[in-house]
Order: sequence, then structure tokens, then C-alpha cells
Amino acid sequence: MKFLLPHQFKKIGAIIAPLGFFLWVCMQMGFVTQLLIFLFGKSLSEQRESSYHLVNVIIAILSFFSFLGGIYFIAFSKEKLEDEMVERTRLESFQVAALVQLISIIIGFLSMSIFGNPGEGGLMLFFIVLIFLFWLCFIFRFNYTLHIKIKNEK
Amino acid sequence: MKNNLKEERIKKELTQVQLAEIINVSRQTIISIETNRYVPSVLLSLKIANALKIKVENLFELEKSD
Repeated sequence: MKFLLPHQFKKIGAIIAPLGFFLWVCMQMGFVTQLLIFLFGKSLSEQRESSYHLVNVIIAILSFFSFLGGIYFIAFSKEKLEDEMVERTRLESFQVAALVQLISIIIGFLSMSIFGNPGEGGLMLFFIVLIFLFWLCFIFRFNYTLHIKIKNEK
Repeated sequence: MKNNLKEERIKKELTQVQLAEIINVSRQTIISIETNRYVPSVLLSLKIANALKIKVENLFELEKSD
């Protein structure tokens, strides 16, 4: 593939993806709001409450996109030495990830038809999980095949 | 398809890393070929044979299932 990023981007991705995920979990757990209250006091005025909400939204967007960007950096970075086996492993990993995603879609929609509509929020979460499932499955399969499996075989 | 890469490489007193460097592939690729997990392309097979100074036919062998 000619559009792959240099190998250094893999390291950058390995830093920003978990950082983004950690920040997103912190925001979801309400730690950011707690920190703001600790720093600036309890939100008594409406204006202050809306600014706390705005900070949360900004952190949510930043963390989501840094996680997504980090995952893309890991997935689309060259290996130290790109040869034909690496290319083939990458292609096979894309196929496996696509298959896992397809099976998940089928299982997801079957469960919805059996257990009922999960609502707008549930559906949105399902689609977000599907996006990440593809990329995480690809990254895991690619790196496992190329680094862990071969290391165990030699 | 079977291959005698490991035997031929040892005969030539080359390590996996040295052979990988000569033909400009990763060490993982050499390991995968030696363990029959990966069948190299014609180009790579020729490069390996060239590096080991033997014929491709002496390096790879067809099996009944092929």
C-alpha cells in the first residue's frame, strides 16, 4: 500500500489512543466535572454550569478523536521493514476484521429483532462499537500474527 | 509445498538475520518460510535462491496435495 504513514506514527498512535480512551472514561465517570468543582467551586450560577458542560463536551470531542486518530495511526503505519509477507498479513487481517464486523452486525440486528429496539442511544452506541470493533480486531490480528505468533514459533 | 530453506541456510552458515538482510526482508518472513507458514512469491523465491547460490528447484519441493 502506497498511502501508509511512516513507522514513527505507530508510536504516536500507541500514545494518543490510550490517552484519548482514558480521558473519555474520566469524562464519562464525571471526574472532569468533579475536578472543575474542586478547582472553581460548586456550580451555583447557570452560566458557570453551562461552562462546565462546555468543558465536558470539548473533552469528549477531543478524547474521541484522539482515540480514533490514534487507532488510525497504529493501523496505517508502516512496519520497520515492509515486505511482501507484511503486506499479505495486513490484507488478511483486514479480511478477518471485516468478517468479525459482519458477524457482529448480523448478531446485533438479530438481537434487536428478538429483544426489541434499544432506542436511539443504544443504536448509536452499537454503531460506535462496530466501528471500533473493526479497527481493534484488525490491529490485534495484524500484530499478533506478525509479532507474537512468529516469536513463539521460532 | 515443502522447502529446505533452513537446511540450506545452515549449510551456508548464515543466520536468519543475515539472510533477511541480504534479501531485504524482515526476520519474521524468514521464520515464516522456514516453518512453512508462508509461501513466498516467485520474486522472493528467486532472491533467496540467489542469495544461497542454489537453484529454486532445490529449495522448494511440491507435495502430493499441491
